[in-house]
Amino acid sequence: MYLALFLTPWVLMYALSTMAMNHRESFKKIYGEGPSPFVKEQELPYGASFPKDAPPSLIAQQVLSDLNMQGAHRARMSPDGLKLIINRSGPLWPRRITYTPAEGKILIEKQAFRSNAFLESLHRRRGFQSDYLLDDAWAFAVDLVIVAMIFWAASGLWMWWEMRVTRLWGAAFAVTGIAIFGLFLVTI
Amino acid sequence: MTFNHLNRRTHLYLALLLLPWCFMYGVSSLPFSHSQYFQEKFGKPEWKTRFERTYEIEIPPESDLRQVGAQILKDNDLEGSFGVYQPNPERLNIYILGFISPTQVNYFPLEKRLVVADRTFNWNVFLTGMHARGGFQQESFLSDAWAVIVDIVCISMLIWIGSGIYMWWRLSQTRFWGFAALGGGVLSFGVFLWGL
Repeated sequence: MYLALFLTPWVLMYALSTMAMNHRESFKKIYGEGPSPFVKEQELPYGASFPKDAPPSLIAQQVLSDLNMQGAHRARMSPDGLKLIINRSGPLWPRRITYTPAEGKILIEKQAFRSNAFLESLHRRRGFQSDYLLDDAWAFAVDLVIVAMIFWAASGLWMWWEMRVTRLWGAAFAVTGIAIFGLFLVTI
Repeated sequence: MTFNHLNRRTHLYLALLLLPWCFMYGVSSLPFSHSQYFQEKFGKPEWKTRFERTYEIEIPPESDLRQVGAQILKDNDLEGSFGVYQPNPERLNIYILGFISPTQVNYFPLEKRLVVADRTFNWNVFLTGMHARGGFQQESFLSDAWAVIVDIVCISMLIWIGSGIYMWWRLSQTRFWGFAALGGGVLSFGVFLWGL
């Protein structure tokens, strides 16, 4: 019970985000095709200099640190090699930071909020591949939800079996569920 | 029957009915969360050619690929929910969905050649495929029925939250620690939302 209460926000998020993903076409009608557009937030001078052979990942980490925007991100050079593009993947407001070394400036753009994209990004966020502690803590919370789901299913079965009065109807529901699931397994 | 009784029975029977989905979503989340480990453990899925034959169909430049895909499947006695895409003008790929053994149909227009291959069973792909299946974009009744059940699972999760909180609230001796757990969860989630 206490575990369920603690994990309530995650269960709520997974329920709503799964529904959003199950009804992607409806959201396309609301928001249109393609990802949410980026809107200019601010443009800043940035006078740092980096060695010519510095990898984009290293420059990106320094830029994010200087902007106080550390966190999970992906960095790549533009095809012409003149700009460094950093996608900082925050769940509420994903940002795109474009650093142009030749002009010594940084452009920060914020992705317009879309409820389905927000939920989907939380749903898809997982794994321990990030260098950031908070990302690892999130991945641990995701694992906790997974273990909890399996535990709830198993403990729920045990609690049901302990209540003699519900055994017959409970068995009927369980068998129906297993039969429907089995049918799907072999047909689709 | 009191509301408390109805609440408890709904919570229980709904969970028993949807038990296979709860287990499936729980277990299948593991290969997503620890993808590297599962890929190393189960390896990459292999494709076994079922048949290869000469085949020709015209693909006009602005044509509806889904219609072309449906025609290719019909012409070759293949069926099932499918996805279709054309990575380049020399190739058209059709993916026939299936939890246990999906089929891949590759059509090479310049060579007038069609290759049909079945994927060998792989636990990793089986679990992640089931986890990710959803949506109402397929023409098949059973695919839509699966998507409806996905919605039912989601609504049930909301019901379990509501009915669970109600059951907790009725147990006055657990209120303090329950509040602490719920508050701690909400606070932690908020920190993640702000800081991630």
